[in-house]
Amino acid sequence: MSAGTPSASAGPGSRQRIELAPAFVLHQRPYRETSALLEVFTHAQGRVGLIARGARAPRSRRRGELQPFRALRLSWIERGELGTLTGVESAAPGPPLSGRALYSALYLNELLVRLLTRNDPHPVLFERYAHALEALAADAGNVEPTLRLFEKHLLQETGYGLLLDVDCESGEPLRSDALYDYHLEAGPVEVAADTRQGFLFPGSSLLALAAEGELDAAALRDAKRLMRAALSLYLGGKPLKSRELFNRG
Amino acid sequence: MAVSPLIQQLMEALRCLPGVGNKTAQRMAYHLLERDREGGRQLSAVLAKAMEGIGRCVDCRTLCEGETCSLCASTSRDDSLLCVVESPMDVEALEQATDFRGRYFVLMGHLSPLDGIGPEQLGLDRLAGRFARGGLEEVILATNPTVEGEATAQYISELAREHGIRTTRIAHGVPMGGELEYIDSGTLSHAFAGRRDLG
Repeated sequence: MSAGTPSASAGPGSRQRIELAPAFVLHQRPYRETSALLEVFTHAQGRVGLIARGARAPRSRRRGELQPFRALRLSWIERGELGTLTGVESAAPGPPLSGRALYSALYLNELLVRLLTRNDPHPVLFERYAHALEALAADAGNVEPTLRLFEKHLLQETGYGLLLDVDCESGEPLRSDALYDYHLEAGPVEVAADTRQGFLFPGSSLLALAAEGELDAAALRDAKRLMRAALSLYLGGKPLKSRELFNRG
Repeated sequence: MAVSPLIQQLMEALRCLPGVGNKTAQRMAYHLLERDREGGRQLSAVLAKAMEGIGRCVDCRTLCEGETCSLCASTSRDDSLLCVVESPMDVEALEQATDFRGRYFVLMGHLSPLDGIGPEQLGLDRLAGRFARGGLEEVILATNPTVEGEATAQYISELAREHGIRTTRIAHGVPMGGELEYIDSGTLSHAFAGRRDLG
């Protein structure tokens, strides 16, 4: 049996044991006197809610381990909506995040909790998340490209992927020197170069985002504008709290 | 067994305490009613008084009865040092354990976007006002060594730096009397990274 796979077949009300599944803690909430309610992002099961009994007790070794951004292997027993944590293993401490990188990482967690439904597996996104954390730690001064690409992957993985390479009306490939009006939930539509009205993007910015290569300053600004609009559509009006951390210069 | 409505009400009220479930609430209620009426009366009187009379200190935001708490009102403390903590219990812990003679600022929590707690909810605009008033030489960030506590410390340190105030972060590492082999890897790596010159 490979790591992280359930040992019994799933069925309604069945209890299954999951052993050492790769996971990250997204959020921890106090629960009862010494326990914690964890929101975790796992490789095989997606976002899962777990109860960690005694995790907040004064002498608990798990206090330090169950912090966000650390690559963990968790074991738990699945039982209805919330599982019960039975084991934690961690190889190394999380990547060293500080300043904007730390705020960015909190932002990623908020996105995941808000946009993923529980028990919906997203193994590709899990890998992207792990890479994004490393990229943030490696270059705290330049977090924007990492954030934009993660947002793009998140939308893609949750079924809201943005069309970035073809005109959604004509079906023609985008041209970098053309101007496009972006219809969220549909895609880009070419408009005359002197158009002023609409949600406008130069073809070059959309193509750069599609190619996931280096994004220059203009492409980054456009990507941010596009992602914000697309995300707010799926976040249901309630703004992301972690954005407030960036608001000062 | 039919319990009289008032006893039922008492048990339900007691359940608002942390860690008190049905069984404990029942035990507490019967203890007070059967064995300690006087204690119960006193508890209810003090509880009522405390709920009405205790507010927030205008300076440090900790819980206190008057306009300002005794620490903020004291004239013998150093106004150039400010220690930022998450809860009033942290103030007590620091007062007992250290010889710190400066002032405190109590956040009543930490930045936690997923719980809807941002800079505004923590009263950081108030703290920024304190920085702007001047006279501070050092801000000691004694928030908890969790991811959220760290984010809070960094955010406040940026605020302080805008006002040219030096910030320090409490060290975290191996506990006194601890043995390295039993310490979790996160703490140990933090302690190792934060090593200091000896002598």
